[in-house]
Amino acid sequence: MNLSVIWDNLDYLLIGAWPNGPVGGLALTVILSISSAIASAVLGLILGIAMVMASQRFEALLATALGFFRAIPIIMLIFWIYFLLPVLFGITAPQVGTVVIALSLVGGAYLGHGVAAGIRSVSSKQWDAGLALGLKRWEVLRLIILPQALPRMMPSFINQWISLIKDTSLAYVIGVPELSFVATQVNNRAMVYPIEVFLFIGLVYFILCTACDMLANRTTKWAGLIVR
Amino acid sequence: MKRLISAVLVVSAVLTGVAQADRLDDIKKAGVLRVAAFDGNPPFGFVDQQSKQIIGLDVDYAKAIADKIGVKLEIRPTNPANRVPLLVSGQVDLVLANFTITEERAKQLDFSIPYFASGQQFLAKKGVLKSPDQIESLRIGADKGTTNEINLRKLYPKTVIVAYDDTPFAFTALRNGNVQAITQDGPKLVGLLANVPDKENYEIPAFTISDDYIGVGAPKGEKALVDLVNETLRELEADGRALKIYNAWFGPDSKTPLPRLFKIGDK
Amino acid sequence: MLAPEYIEWLLSGFGITVLLSLTSCVAASVIGALVCGLRISQSKLLRTFARTYIDIFRNTPLLVQLFFWYFGAASLLSSDLMIWLNTPRSLSLGFMTLYWPSFEFLAGFIGLTFYTSAFISEELRSGIQAIPQGQHHAAAALGFTPRQIFFLIILPQAIRVSLFPLLGQYMNALKNSSLTMAIGLAELSYASRQVETVTFKTFQAFGIATVLYVLAIAILELIGRHIYKRHILLRGAF
Repeated sequence: MNLSVIWDNLDYLLIGAWPNGPVGGLALTVILSISSAIASAVLGLILGIAMVMASQRFEALLATALGFFRAIPIIMLIFWIYFLLPVLFGITAPQVGTVVIALSLVGGAYLGHGVAAGIRSVSSKQWDAGLALGLKRWEVLRLIILPQALPRMMPSFINQWISLIKDTSLAYVIGVPELSFVATQVNNRAMVYPIEVFLFIGLVYFILCTACDMLANRTTKWAGLIVR
Repeated sequence: MKRLISAVLVVSAVLTGVAQADRLDDIKKAGVLRVAAFDGNPPFGFVDQQSKQIIGLDVDYAKAIADKIGVKLEIRPTNPANRVPLLVSGQVDLVLANFTITEERAKQLDFSIPYFASGQQFLAKKGVLKSPDQIESLRIGADKGTTNEINLRKLYPKTVIVAYDDTPFAFTALRNGNVQAITQDGPKLVGLLANVPDKENYEIPAFTISDDYIGVGAPKGEKALVDLVNETLRELEADGRALKIYNAWFGPDSKTPLPRLFKIGDK
Repeated sequence: MLAPEYIEWLLSGFGITVLLSLTSCVAASVIGALVCGLRISQSKLLRTFARTYIDIFRNTPLLVQLFFWYFGAASLLSSDLMIWLNTPRSLSLGFMTLYWPSFEFLAGFIGLTFYTSAFISEELRSGIQAIPQGQHHAAAALGFTPRQIFFLIILPQAIRVSLFPLLGQYMNALKNSSLTMAIGLAELSYASRQVETVTFKTFQAFGIATVLYVLAIAILELIGRHIYKRHILLRGAF
């Protein structure tokens, strides 16, 4: 083990070329993760609610569309958005934007199903009761159903966020300087320390994912107490 | 629904229209020239450990072009396989990444006049590869999306080729024993070998299996941009800056001394 | 459209994708069941071991794991072993010939198997938690050993309960196999990039590869529904 390759490049692995260049490394991985986590959660909520509230035909259409995003590998989706969208429609997505869009679409597609299932897990009697009270369907959803369903969805949100953190490493394929990409740069320059470099970034991801897991679980438990 | 479709069509027409406007004007307007360069291939393009910036021979040429236009230079790291898609999809304005001029590529994009010449060579552990007739009996590492890979498959169809994302990956595979030789442009291999800690165990056999000219890649049909690049390259040669750039990376006092056999304008 | 030669590249890439996913899923299921058994065993040491195993493989990106196995771990092996591993050889079984896989395939197989096994183990565990404790006690009362109880009574039911989540993991494995392109395995995504760089027909190359992935996932989904109808609806989940 020769850890000097890590120490010598530590700042590059953590923040990339910043402040003399774009933010990179671990910092960019965190930025990518947080933006995709928020975007995928919003998208998942909208899609899940749409699936429950929409007509059957529209629901089937939506389910097929979501099925597509769950069926293609994220690498392929990134290629499509980055290299083909501009050629087909003339829309150029920036590098970092491409990754966030791809991860949010996939994350949103998975979460959409989780949200729909969470909403459906609330007894239909509650719908009837709410409607009987004179509330509109949207009001029943907002005031009665969602407050019960959301805590039940939390585990699937947490799992999805952890997946997102790991999936940001796929930004590597289009040269976004996140942690995995700068690590390959360091590895390529040092040439003889692949074990040290890849074990180290594996550890960093491990800490990141475990921390996210623990934090989310604590929050859920705490929120669960309040909701009850 | 119909309204939505027509709205999408209008929006995409507008956006495509913008993309098709003169690229040189766009660059001037944006104040930035976006160039794709290698990030792991010394001395053409690599991340400098001290400054953390991408530097190298290709970057020096890119800088000269950006200066000529009078805009800032923004370097995007690329691997070999992403070079053409980056240009075609409009993600970058130019590619300066040891980019071999070929007829097939010239159908997709435009090239400047060549600014560097090299030939395809091999790097192997000492004594493994002596002559071209051994090639087909070896497992050879190449880079995805390079002319080297395509050329090797054409000339020596029975060779087992394993293609990697970039040359240093191929070299790691060579070092680990997954492939017995790797192939690349000679100067790139010289640059790689110069940075190998145990370089005495490797060699670059003297034979070459192709002659390649390296040019600047530009989007198809951007005549004004290509003309400006060509003009810049000729000026660099005329006022001696091209020689200076060459000597900084391949000169007698550099890490990778190679005689300069090609001048801009020779071909 | 693409010339037949390039379609052939894509199809052979697809073949490798299927072969890699299939073998990894089988191996990952076996390892996953074993790890799950350790995870719920009586011994604290074994439980901790299983938890650590699951956490390590689940909480790090597959791409990094693949880089580690292919570029990192391989550098630790002796050069004689590497030569042995890289030597092409075949085994003739009369009706068919088995070929020794490339080192890229081996590394991809190891990476994908370990990664997937951690998820499978967790899916099985939640399946087991859905099985009433009473079964455990009943089996113990009948004189089954803990190991027999796990493999003969609990596990088969857990597999049935977690059929859909397991199928989801197999689909993930199929999609995740695309990452092995980064270590030079000529699977479908690799082939699509190869075709793209030779022909420049980006749309066709990525398009065909995408369709093949979607098709493979759709087939898995259909198989899942079929099994569900035949075994679960008819016989009941418990």
